[in-house]
Formats: sequence, C-alpha cells, structure tokens
Amino acid sequence: MLGVPTEYFLVLSGILFTIGVIGVLIKRNPIVIFMCIELMLNAVNLTFIALGRHFVHVNGQMYVIFVMAVAAAEVAIGLGIIVALFRSKETINIDEVNLMKY
Amino acid sequence: MNTLPVQIAFYSLAALTLISAAYVVRARSIIHAGFWLLPCFVGVAGLFATLQAHFFFVAQLLIYAGAILVLILFALMLTRDAMSLHVPLKSHLGIWAGLISAGLGISASLVLARQSWSVTTAHPAGPARQAEALGEALIGLYAVPFEVASLLLLSALIGAVVLAKVERAPAPEPPPLADTLPEPEETRKEPVGVE
Repeated sequence: MLGVPTEYFLVLSGILFTIGVIGVLIKRNPIVIFMCIELMLNAVNLTFIALGRHFVHVNGQMYVIFVMAVAAAEVAIGLGIIVALFRSKETINIDEVNLMKY
Repeated sequence: MNTLPVQIAFYSLAALTLISAAYVVRARSIIHAGFWLLPCFVGVAGLFATLQAHFFFVAQLLIYAGAILVLILFALMLTRDAMSLHVPLKSHLGIWAGLISAGLGISASLVLARQSWSVTTAHPAGPARQAEALGEALIGLYAVPFEVASLLLLSALIGAVVLAKVERAPAPEPPPLADTLPEPEETRKEPVGVE
C-alpha cells in the first residue's frame, strides 16, 4: 500500500477549505476574498485527486482539469471586474460597493 | 514502496500548506496575503506529487503558482491605493464567521474520518500510463465537457478584454475633432464618386 491513508488527505483538505471559508467571511477586500476562494478550490482539487487515487479511477483527475479551467476563467473575469470597479468608484471595500443592494 | 519518506513529505507539506493558508487569512497587509499564497500553492502541488499525480503537480505549479498568482498580484498593484490600507475586520462578523466555519470544519472532518476507507492495495499506474489514460478520457468520454471548458475559457478571454476596454472607450472622441473630421472625408469621397 501507499504511505499515507486517504482520510488524512481528506481531513487536510477539509481544514484547508475551512480556512478559506473563514477568509471569505471575515475579509473586506474582494481580492483577498478571491485568494480565499482559490484556497477552497485547491482543497477541492486535493479531495478529487486523493479520491481518484483511492478508487484508482481517472474521473477524479478529470474533474480537477475542469476545476482548474473554471478557476482560471473566474480569476480573469473577477479581477477584471474588481479593477474596473476600482477605476470607477476609487474603492473596492465591499462594504462601500453596495449599489446593487437596493 | 518505502512509506516513511512519503509520510514525512506528507506531514511537512501539510504543515506548509496549512500554515501559509492561515497566514493568507491573517496577514494585515494585502500584499503579504498575496505572497503567502505562493507557499500554499506549492505545498498543494507537493501533496499532488505525494499522491503520485505527476501531471497535476506540474499543472498546479504552472496554473496556480504561475498564472493565477501573477494575475492576483497584478490586480493588487492596479488597485494600489487600496493596497496601503489595512484590511478591516468586523469583530461581530468575525465571531459568526468563526462559529460557522468551525461547525463546517468539524462536521466535514467527522464525516470524512468516520467513513471507513478500506485500504487500497492497488498501485496507481506510472506517470506515462496515467497521462495516457487522462488523454484518452479527454478525447473520449469527456470530449464534450472538454469543448465546453474551452468555450468557457474563450468567453472569459473576450470578457476580460471587454472589461479592460470599458474605461478607454469615451477617451478618444473629443467634440472638436468630431466636427472637423467629417469634412475632409466628404471632400475625398466626392472625387471618387465622380470618377
């Protein structure tokens, strides 16, 4: 068998995902929120690959490819929106960007 | 396979990943949070190598530690004025966030740890065979999702260009130029029409 059991990887990615959730909930800067979303996506990728190894199946790795593609698209668009927002409003504090709220 | 080096690698990479992830959340300045992201991504890449997913070890280094991190740092530098401010943290929200996340983390860990994961005896295939299986699945069973992903990336590319161009659209049309420009065009067109 291989050195490290699957559940160690799963618990590790659970902790990493939780750190990402804490960051998304407490941070006020959208770029830092983006970083925490990337942490969460990394945790999910780790889960997929650990389970792909566990079941010796290519599906787990296949989903990671799509997660990476979506993450790249999300970062490009999201950061473009943030920069455009900063140009027009001079702030990116998400407490002050509340035009869509009403 | 020798298990002890793999276990040592796992624990050190897990510690690297978790500590730098905690620093991403805890860092007072945004640029520090951005740079703490690098050891975190590298640690996850190392964990992929521990799992013998060689292709994703390289992909993680290229895409996350390379492209995405550079994009995030560019966005940080383009929003330079916001960078100097410390990230404010609301205390009452922080308590709620801690409670919610602790509940999530504990329940997720319990569910994952209580499941009886039978020990796998099968060795994963070697790097060449794994890449072969991946490529076969990409052009076989997963051909349509693969094409959809490429369309998604294309639309993201176009969308990013459109978002970046929005601000410059009103700049190159000052009113005096617009008045003077049509006249020479009309005079030029008339001889062409006559000929």
